[in-house]
Amino acid sequence: MQEFTNDPIDISLLPQFQEVRLNALSPKYWKVVCINMAIFTTITAIGMTTLLLFSADIKAYAYIIIGTYFLLITLMVIFNRTALSRRGFAVREKDIVYRHGLIAISTTIIPFSRIQHIALDEGFFSRMYRLGQLRIFTAGGHSGSLHIPGIEIEEARQIKELLMKQISLLD
Amino acid sequence: MDQDFSKPQKQSATGVIIMFANSLQKLIRALTLPMIFILVKSKGSYGIGLILGISLMTLIILAVYAWLSYQRFNFFLDEDKQEFVVNEGVFNKSTLTIQLNKIQQVNINQSLLQQIIGIYSLDIDTAGSEKKEASIKAIDHLTATRLKQRLLSDRDEAAALNQTDENDFLPSASSVKTMLKLSNATLLKVGITSNYGASILLLMGFIFGLIQFFKDYATAFKVETNDIYSTVSQGFGFISVCFFIAFALIIVLTTNIVRTFIRYFQFKILRQQAALAISSGLFTRKNTLVTPRKVQLSAYSQNYFQKKLGILNIKVKQAAYDTADEEESKKSHIEIPGCSDRERDDILKMIYTLIPAKGKALIPNYRFLFLQVMLKIMIPAVLFSWLALVVYRPLQSYLALLIPYAILVFILLYFEYTHHRLYATQGFIVKKSGIWDIEEEIIETHKIQAITSKQYFWHKKADVGHLLLHTAAGVIHFKYGNYSQINNLVNYWLYQLESTKKDWI
Repeated sequence: MQEFTNDPIDISLLPQFQEVRLNALSPKYWKVVCINMAIFTTITAIGMTTLLLFSADIKAYAYIIIGTYFLLITLMVIFNRTALSRRGFAVREKDIVYRHGLIAISTTIIPFSRIQHIALDEGFFSRMYRLGQLRIFTAGGHSGSLHIPGIEIEEARQIKELLMKQISLLD
Repeated sequence: MDQDFSKPQKQSATGVIIMFANSLQKLIRALTLPMIFILVKSKGSYGIGLILGISLMTLIILAVYAWLSYQRFNFFLDEDKQEFVVNEGVFNKSTLTIQLNKIQQVNINQSLLQQIIGIYSLDIDTAGSEKKEASIKAIDHLTATRLKQRLLSDRDEAAALNQTDENDFLPSASSVKTMLKLSNATLLKVGITSNYGASILLLMGFIFGLIQFFKDYATAFKVETNDIYSTVSQGFGFISVCFFIAFALIIVLTTNIVRTFIRYFQFKILRQQAALAISSGLFTRKNTLVTPRKVQLSAYSQNYFQKKLGILNIKVKQAAYDTADEEESKKSHIEIPGCSDRERDDILKMIYTLIPAKGKALIPNYRFLFLQVMLKIMIPAVLFSWLALVVYRPLQSYLALLIPYAILVFILLYFEYTHHRLYATQGFIVKKSGIWDIEEEIIETHKIQAITSKQYFWHKKADVGHLLLHTAAGVIHFKYGNYSQINNLVNYWLYQLESTKKDWI
């Protein structure tokens, strides 16, 4: 007969997910975010300039509009920067942990045994910096899945291999 | 002859046409409105010429794009790792990997266009989520059937095992036992007491119509003011208010009753060994099978009247598992109206083998109320006052209405707050919520797919946070709890999830 124990569990001795040291996203990912923001800024700026040039009514408010626009762009940069610094992930023995968020900081944990399938994406700009995005799906639908961007492509591949291996071991 | 799927292969060459058609369709949907706008704005031949030019350009770009996506799309079967891999994307590349044993279903379909060019699409489905995980848009029939066979060969062995226990559910005279049968009287009770949300909305509509009617009335009488007439009209008005309210109530109740009867007429639950067979319906009888193993979430709800009448409604959500179409997957959500407490316990025992104990409750912080009061009382009140005092003066006479509004909404919010509870015990999680209909949702710990704990940064000091439990039947959301307590529970649940061999399906 196998050794059987049934001791009470001390919850404080269980591994604490909130104390796991998380890996930050690759610093290069900030560059990708910057490129995206630059494209967004350029397109909206072109749109605004044409509006300001062609519509006389709006011209009167030009300073206010341009002022607000610059304020919004600055806020966008700051928010993206803060959000990026808060993101982090960790692969534990039996699950994967991902933290993200700007005003609300969420930590999502998916046990390996609940992973359905995995996708690895390489965006157009991410590829230039050799970065990838891991998407981990569960049966919990969209809300129960993870999207981790900005991982070095080699590392992302390794993590994916590791996860796939874990899934097949579990079955 | 066996086809080799282990090398990356492209779709059928005609797939280019499908990809082109797909992106064209998307583009047309997105651009119809702006195009019409441009046409209307710029009158004359100049606009039409421009549009024709642009259309031609986009068509060429789309064709190139379709060809590129065809070139980049490939799929293969990794025999060593038992994985199916799909690569796609022109600018954004994506690699999707599915373990063969996670595949629940492979469907071969043909759309109209695919019929014309003689190809098929192959969709791969894993358990749980409603959307297709991977889709090959252009594949010839032979390859499709062979691939399907290969993808499912693993599963078929498992399914063969499963099949035997599905067979156990077939009614054999000795094992079938009626568990629950709803009488017409119970259905009447259910009809009278449920669906108040819709009823209240309808009533509101009536009342607003009534107020409008009164105003017209009053202004009409102002023209030829006469005391006698006005007293008569007041009496008449009072009677007509009562009449209208009674009328509205009758309409609402009859529709509810008729609806209930159509859906649940002769509602019956048969117990067949390990499963529950449920049938109901007036015109079409709906038959559903509840298999305890597949149940992801169950819930029961009761409002004040239902409590007095001793009835409650049960909901059982199963994983949409080996279901071919949406009609099937709707079947996996079952409602059982008009149960007594005892019958509820029987059903819960049937599903979970025991009645989930509730244990100690987690109570949300008072901040739960604070934000809701801000959003639903303070902000609307301030907005309305601003409108009435600054923008549109005639609204001022309605300012007093803000007080009953605030009181009513506060009472409702307070109810919501007092009912928002989470109970965690050995193996079970129960969440209670609701304002009028009070619902208790039950999940087993091992049915959790993923856990999120969430905290707003200004709640750090107060140690307040939120918890989201993702299951295959939706999310359980507990708000404004004690964050350290929540995190302790998360660690405990993770420990349970990761140490158990129990699968979620």
